[in-house]
Amino acid sequence: MSATNIVLGVIGFDCHSVGNKILEAWFTESGFKVTNLGVMVSQEEFIAAAIETDAKAILVSSLYGHGEIDCAGLREKCIEKGLEDILLYVGGNLVVGKTPFPQVEEKFLKMGYDRVFGPDCSLEKVSEMLKADIAAKAK
Amino acid sequence: MTSNRVICVDIGSTYTKGAIFRLAEDRFVVEARAVTPTTVDYLPDGFFTVVQQLSPGADWHNLTAADAPCPVYFSSSAKGGLKVAVVGLVPEMSLQIARLAAFSAGARICASYPYRLTRSCISSIEKAQPDILLLCGGTDGGNERYVTENAQALAASDFNGTIVYAGNNAAVDRVSDLLADRELVICENLMPDFGRLNIEPVREAIRRVFLDRIVSGKGLDRLVAAFATQPVPTPLAVLNLVRVVGENIEGWQNFALIDMGGATTDFYSFADAYNPDSGTIMKGIVEPKLKRTVEGDLGMRVSAESTFETGEAYLAAVSDFSTEQMAALKNYVMGLTTNTGHLPANAIERYYDSLLAGACIYHSLMRHAGSIEEVFTAKGRVWAQTGKDLRRVSRIVGTGGYLAAMAREGSAVAISDRAVLPTEKTPLLPEKFVYLSDNDYILPLLGNLAEKFPRQCALTAVSSLTVTQHYEVKEPCQREFIKA
Repeated sequence: MSATNIVLGVIGFDCHSVGNKILEAWFTESGFKVTNLGVMVSQEEFIAAAIETDAKAILVSSLYGHGEIDCAGLREKCIEKGLEDILLYVGGNLVVGKTPFPQVEEKFLKMGYDRVFGPDCSLEKVSEMLKADIAAKAK
Repeated sequence: MTSNRVICVDIGSTYTKGAIFRLAEDRFVVEARAVTPTTVDYLPDGFFTVVQQLSPGADWHNLTAADAPCPVYFSSSAKGGLKVAVVGLVPEMSLQIARLAAFSAGARICASYPYRLTRSCISSIEKAQPDILLLCGGTDGGNERYVTENAQALAASDFNGTIVYAGNNAAVDRVSDLLADRELVICENLMPDFGRLNIEPVREAIRRVFLDRIVSGKGLDRLVAAFATQPVPTPLAVLNLVRVVGENIEGWQNFALIDMGGATTDFYSFADAYNPDSGTIMKGIVEPKLKRTVEGDLGMRVSAESTFETGEAYLAAVSDFSTEQMAALKNYVMGLTTNTGHLPANAIERYYDSLLAGACIYHSLMRHAGSIEEVFTAKGRVWAQTGKDLRRVSRIVGTGGYLAAMAREGSAVAISDRAVLPTEKTPLLPEKFVYLSDNDYILPLLGNLAEKFPRQCALTAVSSLTVTQHYEVKEPCQREFIKA
């Protein structure tokens, strides 16, 4: 059984690359085959990579505060492109200002993301969740 | 080599051309040239006519390689060359890489299809009957669904050419089972990881299929047997020439070559596709250093009508023609499509031809070159690049009968350094360059020697060219770049 493919990247015109490198190393260590698209990734690039690699999940990062506008519509585009079953995770500093996290989470869940994370989540928990979510989808 | 002479022959779709070269120290000297109409029914007839003219001392018809007075190399684009259909997955990813690979093998792409092959795709493939169908899609261990479904569709079709599979390696077994009764060549994935190009194995596979399949049946097999030499598709000979020039000649590390014919315009470049120090961020694949594109709708005769259609806005913009004058140009173009042997009879027709040539060059250059767009981010301004950066290209070479004739007559060749028509993004066109003309139209023949004599061939090529024009951009599109 080969490693599960996942796609990783920082969405929009966001150039924050440090966290992106950490995530790539972390998820590779955790046994995933990571296609890291790096920074400044458009929705179309996430989708193209997910199709070619048959990825089970797309992990979207956003640090610069424009997450809401960049991330909207990704779920719909995935459906249009035949990726109805793909898991969408999003994390980072998703909105500007001091919006309480539960509100942020609700907003992104509504957009069709399966899991939403703030800037201070535990990566161990994230990879556990990801494995469990992928296993649940496979059933 | 017992003799210091070699003969090169190019069997084109209309003419069979040849030259005998003598190796003098570090480069070749043309001793004689010959040309005869291509004998379409049996290609060796025209071939022998040319060789006999070049070297009348021997009885070439009854020779073998061992007692030939000198070695013979040849290329062929007879019967329209090597026709390839490309089937990939995502258009700007695996399909785009497959197109680059097929072009760099010297192929003519007759159709390309992304995602799933529908019934109408299959029936157009059946109708076109390409020599080769290149099937790919999915990274290694990635998507299997599309390639297997497409293999299934092909298995049920009446397509009987060779299928080259260069997709996801995890799907190889299923694809081979499905296509068990077809001529199938399996090679390494041309995109093993997302965004990583692996073009060489596909190029080599296509070259082998060309030898096995295309060479036989047109009489070329007899030539292969007689001269113990393997032909290459003509565009591959030119591509090999471009490569050896770039690899061997100082100062030629950033150049382009345009081969403009009656039916197509081929554009070659030898240049780094992406210069990371220029402060741009690359979007999509980084294209190969050596790249060829072919424009089937741009040409001086057979494709004159489609050149006019594609280039109408360009022609109107550069010529300042009135509606009546445009109509007269169109009239001339329509005449060319039916009379493809026409040569310009007077000054105005020569001007029409130079306008058409300008349109072929402009559109083939715009399609070959990448582009950048300025993007404002929270951190300031950055540039996002897609495709190949040609800004550093410092030499452009023109070859093919029309460009050679134009240069001999002293007509200027219009090469634009910026978008003449409005575009969404800024094209990455050469900024400062000289135009060199292959006045003697020797490059395709010389290309036959590229593999065997790389350095001598490259030296001969660059020293045979004539510098005709200098171009310089007055205001470069981007003066400075902000580091991302």
